[in-house]
Amino acid sequence: MAAAVVARGDVSGLDNKDFEKLAVPLLDGLYNFACWLSGDPDEARDLVQETFLKSLRGFASFREGTNFRAWMFRILRNTFLTSRTGLERRNTRQEDEEGFEESAVTQETPELALIRRADTELVQAAIAQLAPAFQEVVLLADMEEMKYQEIAEALDIPIGTVMSRLARARRQVRAHIVTVLGEKKIVGTKR
Amino acid sequence: MNCEWREKTGLYVDGELEPAAQQAFAGHLQGCSDCSAAVLEQQELKKAVRVAGKRFSAPPELYAQVRRQISPQARPQPWWRWGLATALLVVIAALAGSWFSRSRADNSLIAQLMDQHVIMLASVHPYDVISSDKHVVKPWFQGKIPFTFNPPELAKDSPFTLLGGKLVYAEQAAGAELVYQVRQHKISVFIFQARDVHGAPSAGNHAFTVNGWRQGGLQYYVVTDAAREDAERLRALFEEANRT
Repeated sequence: MAAAVVARGDVSGLDNKDFEKLAVPLLDGLYNFACWLSGDPDEARDLVQETFLKSLRGFASFREGTNFRAWMFRILRNTFLTSRTGLERRNTRQEDEEGFEESAVTQETPELALIRRADTELVQAAIAQLAPAFQEVVLLADMEEMKYQEIAEALDIPIGTVMSRLARARRQVRAHIVTVLGEKKIVGTKR
Repeated sequence: MNCEWREKTGLYVDGELEPAAQQAFAGHLQGCSDCSAAVLEQQELKKAVRVAGKRFSAPPELYAQVRRQISPQARPQPWWRWGLATALLVVIAALAGSWFSRSRADNSLIAQLMDQHVIMLASVHPYDVISSDKHVVKPWFQGKIPFTFNPPELAKDSPFTLLGGKLVYAEQAAGAELVYQVRQHKISVFIFQARDVHGAPSAGNHAFTVNGWRQGGLQYYVVTDAAREDAERLRALFEEANRT
């Protein structure tokens, strides 16, 4: 029980015996994140295994005061980025902060009803269409319920970038939902 | 329309404002319909992403593989340890044989309860009685189940909220399911008469934690995808409330 609490916070002075208690509860979240990153369950499995191997090896030199969960996610992500899929993904998809088109739908139009109507599949599609740099931020914030500081550590980016990417990612998710359901509504009324 | 608070909506929803600012924002929401609409929308979006984002569950083999990776690699052992290990294996196998039928029954009950919890999560009508008041939920079960129990009194700052209750059946016995919310997660507490069901120990898989215990002739199970310590905490509240 204590281990799970520590896993979300800071770790210090722990030996290898504690690794299992700390790391295994994170496995499901890491695997889910790996599936989103790689888009392939088999690759995700390899990524998770490699992450555990690397983190186990590095656990002895684990820096005091570092967030364990953020550290694990960081290892996973770095492993992915250096994998073949990761390299391909980086080359084919633009991750530049400025390179993204903003949706025409702005925050000023509340579309609460549409968001409530959105089913899981549609929201998954909305997450899937995000560029990796945005997808990872929104998944860590909303799914893993990480704080901004933790996300910054996991992704190795400044906290300001976390905030701006998160805001953009959410606007894009929202725009996707509103566009898809909005179109359905128009088609529906025409019939 | 262009409220100065507006750009802080995301920070507020993520709980990232300083405590004083968080409180000030909450106060501001009382009077600003634009901001409260934006906050509500962001909360809904956050919730939708949380649910949709949890798309893949690690297969049990992966857990096993990772555990194998982690466990200290077998160093060359002295020969007598192998002898001891073999003897132990024989004893374990004998014990396992006698426990096998019992454990199968246990697992089947656990599986039924996990299914029941998932049905509740997926259902459009997850509860038979909807109330956050234990004084409404508890009496509802009277006459429907052959026993009584005490749902815990929840403190004002308790992370748990009672959502409702439902009549359930497992192993042909009637029982109660109470559903609680903790943060974004739901927790089912199942209660049966101990003599009606096999008192399986706590268990769990990659998706759910099952925390079971026996108390005062009743068998309780907490089933949830929330953190293990949440299940422990709710269990402690139930144990306290039903202490005679």
